[in-house]
Amino acid sequence: MRTDKLAIGLGKTVAVAVILAWSLFPIAFIVMSSFKPGQDIFAVPPKFVFSPTVQHYVELWTGWGVFFTGLLNSTIITAGATIIAITTSTAAGYVYSRYSSRMLNASVMFLIIVRLIPPIVVTLPLFPIINAIGLNDTHIVLMVLYATFFVSLGTVLMRTFIDQIPRELDEAAQIDGAGRLTILRRVIVPLAAPGILAVAVFVVVFAWNEFLFAFIFTATKAKTAPLVISEMIGSIDGVDWGVLFAASTVQLIPVLLFVIFMNRYLVAGLTAGATKG
Amino acid sequence: MNKITEVVPFLAPVQILILSVIVIPSFYVVWLSLHASSFGQSATFVGLQNYIKVLTDPAFLLALGNTVLIVIFAVHLELALGLGMALLFASGLPCRRVLLVAVLAPYAVSEVIAVAMWRFLFDPDVGPVTAMLTWLGLPMLDWSFEPSHALIMIGLLTIWLHLPFTFIILYAARLAIPKDLYEAARIDGATPFDAFRRVTMPLLGPAIAVALLFRYIFAFRIFSEVWLMTQGGPARSTEVVAVYLYQEAFSFNAFGTAAATAWIMVLASLLLATGYVFLLRKQVAGNAH
Repeated sequence: MRTDKLAIGLGKTVAVAVILAWSLFPIAFIVMSSFKPGQDIFAVPPKFVFSPTVQHYVELWTGWGVFFTGLLNSTIITAGATIIAITTSTAAGYVYSRYSSRMLNASVMFLIIVRLIPPIVVTLPLFPIINAIGLNDTHIVLMVLYATFFVSLGTVLMRTFIDQIPRELDEAAQIDGAGRLTILRRVIVPLAAPGILAVAVFVVVFAWNEFLFAFIFTATKAKTAPLVISEMIGSIDGVDWGVLFAASTVQLIPVLLFVIFMNRYLVAGLTAGATKG
Repeated sequence: MNKITEVVPFLAPVQILILSVIVIPSFYVVWLSLHASSFGQSATFVGLQNYIKVLTDPAFLLALGNTVLIVIFAVHLELALGLGMALLFASGLPCRRVLLVAVLAPYAVSEVIAVAMWRFLFDPDVGPVTAMLTWLGLPMLDWSFEPSHALIMIGLLTIWLHLPFTFIILYAARLAIPKDLYEAARIDGATPFDAFRRVTMPLLGPAIAVALLFRYIFAFRIFSEVWLMTQGGPARSTEVVAVYLYQEAFSFNAFGTAAATAWIMVLASLLLATGYVFLLRKQVAGNAH
């Protein structure tokens, strides 16, 4: 019996070690390599002890100003998309939670079905239209696209979270003479904060990392950080791995910390999003 | 009735965004798919010709085959891994929250950076994983020349990026199974394997179906990983449906066939979705009891 327990414990330890290595090794490797001096990056077997240097970050700063413009663009676009997605989904989620009719139920189904249209499909008609109205290579296009591809999930999530807020609170506020907008702002929003944060995690991670739309709809002015990094990967005169790792680290660390701190909301959002629509 | 008109302003922003950015453009894609058009040319109606052209194009069929291979290989392996991990976590681990966050980490990583990682780790000349495989006497992945190796790389990468999603869905569902059921099974003399087969699996069924369908639908539209890894090359041998669509539209300016490809993608997704909605309904009905 004791050897059995020991064997199970050992098996679990090995499994956990493998899972941790699988999940974290690639990330740790990039971050570590970004601080390795020149040739140490290519050392076989990989060096885990080295004298760290910021040389690649200096090269990134001096040689790739466009990357930092990209980061700024990514920040603006992520913030815009998140604000649009949160406000619109909260308002709609509130209605779907508190009112019910045949038409409303049908439109929820519609929201769920819309999620299944692959984003690349809409690039075909939107590309010429966006060019024609002179909006290509602007922040607003990506903000709206990113927000739109998450408002359906956002709305359904917000409905689920708002469903948990007792209606009596709405009714009490209503008796006190509050209108719908006031109820939404003063009663619902504070209590639905976990739902809002869950939606925010989805949109922030998506908008910060997205490649396809940025690739198609931006050229120079609104180019996002992932797009600049993709150009580093595709560089014709060979990839400068040190600089690429430095840029990847700078792009990755903020969103990684965000996911780590918001993990509860991410888990809640993923669970509710998958089971409730 | 009065109420509905009063709440319209709350619903309008979401509905307007979805209609103008997704729904109306998608219907316009139907129109495009029935016409032959290119930049600066007026369109002419060609019926289903674009669909026939796409469905008989060897490049499309290859792309479709690659996509189906990636979907089947990656999604099922991912499900097996996610299920194993969910059961491991549920069996009781120390520092579970920390481990959970570690497993979630790849969720934060952009496809672009994931491709950069993978390209370096598996680089035929300098990649550490390549070096390790050679050291172990295993064949290396020659992904820049060998299409099947490139597809394996892309499959592994997709699993790495999406395993957190599958894992969380299954883990949450596993935690929702009441402990009493396992207690009762134990008292009835069930072995742990019996309990797994008779309690865990049936009760995880709906969650497994949901995770699978989501991943089928999302894996089917895979673009960035492939585009950034191989651009569909060498010689269009690693294209997937979305890359084929992109090439038709933005490299060859063939909007008609690109639109037909797009609608083939939509229809495939909707087909999968019908299954999903059906399951969802069943689940909602199940929850009501």
